[in-house]
Amino acid sequence: MKLKATLGAASLLSTLAVSAFAQTFPEGPITWVVNWPAGGGQDTTSRMVADHLSGALGVPVVIENYDGAGGLTGMRELAKADADGYTIGMLGASSVIQQYTTDEPVMMDQLDVLSFFGPDPGALTVGAGTAYQTLDDYVSAVKEAPGDVPNGNDPPGGASYISAAIMESALGLELNKVPYAGYAPTVTALLGGEVESATVPLPQVLEHAVSGDVRILGVMSGARHFLAPDIPTFEEQGYDVLAGDFRAIVAPAGLPADVAAILSEALIEVLSAEEFITLANTAGYMIEPLGAEEASARITAFDEQVYPVLEEAGLVTNPK
Amino acid sequence: MTYDLLSTIIYNLFSPYMLGLALIGVVLGLVFGALPGVSSTMALAVMLPFTYGMETAPAMVLMLAVFFSSVYAGSVSAILLNIPGTPGAMITLLDGNAMAREGKAAEAMAYALIASIFGGIIGWIFLVILAPTIATYALQFGSPEYAAVVLFGLALVAYASSGDMLRGLAAGAMGLIIGLVGRDQVTDVPRFTFGTADLQGGIDIIPLAIGLFGIAEVLSLLIRSKTDTPAVAVSRARTWPKFSELLGELPTVLRSSTIGTFVGAIPAAGSAVAVALAYACEKRLSKSPEKFGTGIPRGVVAPEAANNACVGGALIPMLTLGIPGDSITAVLIGVLLLHGLRPGPGLFENQPDLVVTIYGALFVAILLTALVAGLIGIPVYRKILAIPQRLLTAAVLVLCLLGAYAVRNAVVDVWVAIFFGAVGFAFIRLNIPVLPLAFGAVLGPLLEENLRRTLIIHRDVSVFFERPISLVLVCLSLAILLLPVCIMGLSYMRKRRIHR
Repeated sequence: MKLKATLGAASLLSTLAVSAFAQTFPEGPITWVVNWPAGGGQDTTSRMVADHLSGALGVPVVIENYDGAGGLTGMRELAKADADGYTIGMLGASSVIQQYTTDEPVMMDQLDVLSFFGPDPGALTVGAGTAYQTLDDYVSAVKEAPGDVPNGNDPPGGASYISAAIMESALGLELNKVPYAGYAPTVTALLGGEVESATVPLPQVLEHAVSGDVRILGVMSGARHFLAPDIPTFEEQGYDVLAGDFRAIVAPAGLPADVAAILSEALIEVLSAEEFITLANTAGYMIEPLGAEEASARITAFDEQVYPVLEEAGLVTNPK
Repeated sequence: MTYDLLSTIIYNLFSPYMLGLALIGVVLGLVFGALPGVSSTMALAVMLPFTYGMETAPAMVLMLAVFFSSVYAGSVSAILLNIPGTPGAMITLLDGNAMAREGKAAEAMAYALIASIFGGIIGWIFLVILAPTIATYALQFGSPEYAAVVLFGLALVAYASSGDMLRGLAAGAMGLIIGLVGRDQVTDVPRFTFGTADLQGGIDIIPLAIGLFGIAEVLSLLIRSKTDTPAVAVSRARTWPKFSELLGELPTVLRSSTIGTFVGAIPAAGSAVAVALAYACEKRLSKSPEKFGTGIPRGVVAPEAANNACVGGALIPMLTLGIPGDSITAVLIGVLLLHGLRPGPGLFENQPDLVVTIYGALFVAILLTALVAGLIGIPVYRKILAIPQRLLTAAVLVLCLLGAYAVRNAVVDVWVAIFFGAVGFAFIRLNIPVLPLAFGAVLGPLLEENLRRTLIIHRDVSVFFERPISLVLVCLSLAILLLPVCIMGLSYMRKRRIHR
């Protein structure tokens, strides 16, 4: 009897505690981990969402930038934080890749996905001084001289490196992949003629395409990019290449279900707001607000697509 | 551009709203920049959300004001506390803090301010007049040229390092090795990380400099305090140098500002490289290079003119090519993007008014920084000197550790700072120059990355001798390195002849 009462009281208390928790979350400021230094795309998009999320939840959302180990330092901080909803962060394609290319990675099962932000598809761009007028020209030229055409991309494991590698493996090409520390130096090298092509996302090269300094030969996504509706996709041109970066919002694994729901709903609300979409689109970012489940499915799909490519490129040090 | 448009822009810039924003920006920049470990990039990133609701012009006014004044304010903690607040202030502390120890802290800050303002204006002039021309040159700066310019910088450092050249070279080599720590830029393989994931990101230059200069200084103070020599003497000495003395620094300002502008314009080079080159160059040209590091105004003027000229320089590739010159301009591009503007070749044709507004905003920022820092900043900063020695030393140590942590929010950086504090202290006791180590750590990764990339693309070192810019730079570097050896050889032969 006594035991029953205690148990009853305990269960009552715990229900109370849960519902009280649900009602009061969030009670204080939320920390938003950005695993890249201030100023980059990951940082800018995070600050945009954090700013609006703070309005939606009524608590401050504070950005914390981490730098180092290609974004891994920040992901580690995020994964080891308390799973109470007060620490969330942005996840990119590179963090999925790093599961297999680093020794002490943060695995995707250490994180709970809250929502998708949007894709950032790769594109193939060539310098205006090169002979490649079309994607067909480019593909046949690379096939004729395997390993000779210099392509500007991230260091191995970075998003634009993986885009190049996915293109290579899908089309049976071999490029001379030249690593640059980020998109800005890559674009500079493309403009200066040091590399003949680059696989950076479209917003990075759009202005130079408009001024005629580079030619964008194709976009590596299912649909055309909203910023450049006249540039065809790879698929439209008969090449089955889908590659690029994406962004999603995640939390440490083991978040209480109701807290996860509150955060996920608030994020979808923010990301679907007309005003926010306009702001993000003017800044060049595609928005695709997807809930936790769909976002997870997307990330898993990317995971499955990228693993064989990494294996083929000899980058896997931590096999599945 | 019509006269009407120009006058409208100028009228708008000097409206109370714009000037008010610029003033807020300058004050915030002076506070942020003076805090150890808070870089200009961080200051700008923090300000970013405030610009969402603004029009483009006021947003740029605010951001440029924070940008320019924080670059100057980086020198304050360098001079007063021997802690570099920003990478660009890494060199300023050598002579700046030495001056402060002689009781000339206010004068050092005044020199830094005047050099910053002139450097800023010269960078601004280059930006306004030569932006498209410089941008074209910056594009021709490929990996081989970049590798060659870094090699040239290393040669200058080796030549300019004080005292024993052998010890200088040894310290420089250690710096190069430290630069190897972390993920290999080309293959992404971690190197020299001692099995810890924390070191995979490499050793950041700010915690390294904080340890090498700040913590090492605190440690030497503890020893020196027995003899009761104050670290930073409080004095009623003058603040503003005489006009004739300033005139003597004019060539230095011109040279350093030019270096600063051009290095700033090369994408991804950054102010740490600019100050290293400017300082080494001045030391090389000086008739009394041994005085550098002992507290001479020139040692403050050269880096400060260079890092503030970098501001104008960094805006050149940003406005003309849409490429950020460094992480700071990356944030500025973010501001433009948020307002739906894509900086790049089209900006000058499509948005001339915005370009002129940015020019004007930077100029207003420079003038306001001069005014606010001169009238309020220096007198307030000076108050720090009134803090009793013991409290200040303790506070400096805390600031060093906080500053090291704040750079990347990483605890490992605190350990890095402490480790290099011990290294710096040992170097001081052993009479080994510390500077080449810092230079090596800054320049080494750049040399490696660009050299290896050159070899990936061109597959042969001969490319260095086939391209004009790299050929000249490589020859100059060889000349600098071999000249002392030749002179030594010649004098040796002459001696032998006399003995015969």
